[in-house]
Amino acid sequence: MVYLQPDPFLNELTSMYERNQEKGSVWVTLKHSSMKSKAKRKKMETEGEAIEYRCLVRATDGKKTIATSLSAKDHQKFQASYATVLKAHMNALKKRERKDKKRTAEVEQKPASSKNPGSSKKPLPTKPPL
Amino acid sequence: MVYIASWDEFVERSVQLFRADPQSSRYVMKYRHCDGKLILKVTDNRECLKFKTDQAQDAKKMEKLNNIFFTLMARGPDADISEVSGKEQVEQQASKKGRGRRQ
Repeated sequence: MVYLQPDPFLNELTSMYERNQEKGSVWVTLKHSSMKSKAKRKKMETEGEAIEYRCLVRATDGKKTIATSLSAKDHQKFQASYATVLKAHMNALKKRERKDKKRTAEVEQKPASSKNPGSSKKPLPTKPPL
Repeated sequence: MVYIASWDEFVERSVQLFRADPQSSRYVMKYRHCDGKLILKVTDNRECLKFKTDQAQDAKKMEKLNNIFFTLMARGPDADISEVSGKEQVEQQASKKGRGRRQ
């Protein structure tokens, strides 16, 4: 498989999300990987070489697969742009109902504001008869 | 497949699972736009942890978990995630306070 650079990967991921809006799923997999075969890893271990591990990122929609790998240096930049891509496309999820927030806020305010006028109004009608 | 209901439990157990065997663990995020569903999976091919949601607020939590796993996977399983997960705790406390006021 050809590994893309992080930025082209994000572009491809964006179009993959757009292609699968009406139907289909998108899978994104993160894996801790040395990007080397098991045999090569064992050989490096016996020779005492340090194995560099990277973060392998793969995405698929079941038809096409794209991949990239991140070093310790570039993962922070990538995760920020990745979060932006996700935010832009994960808009089918249910939002918490804002109406409830407003209602509860009103309920909270009403007893607080109505108590004072209420307590001041009540003595007023009782005063004239006295 | 049994889904883990508690987000905090899912995060804790998936980080543990990864640290126990970083080489064979993977973190999969599946998003299905037409059904508005998000499924997170962490597995080492022996044990499998899954979390399913349709709530937008969980996508924000997922972003933090993404950051934890990016850090762990790019920097190694011994990387310090207290900075990434620390922010999460602060925000959780803030959101809890918000809930309290509304009630």
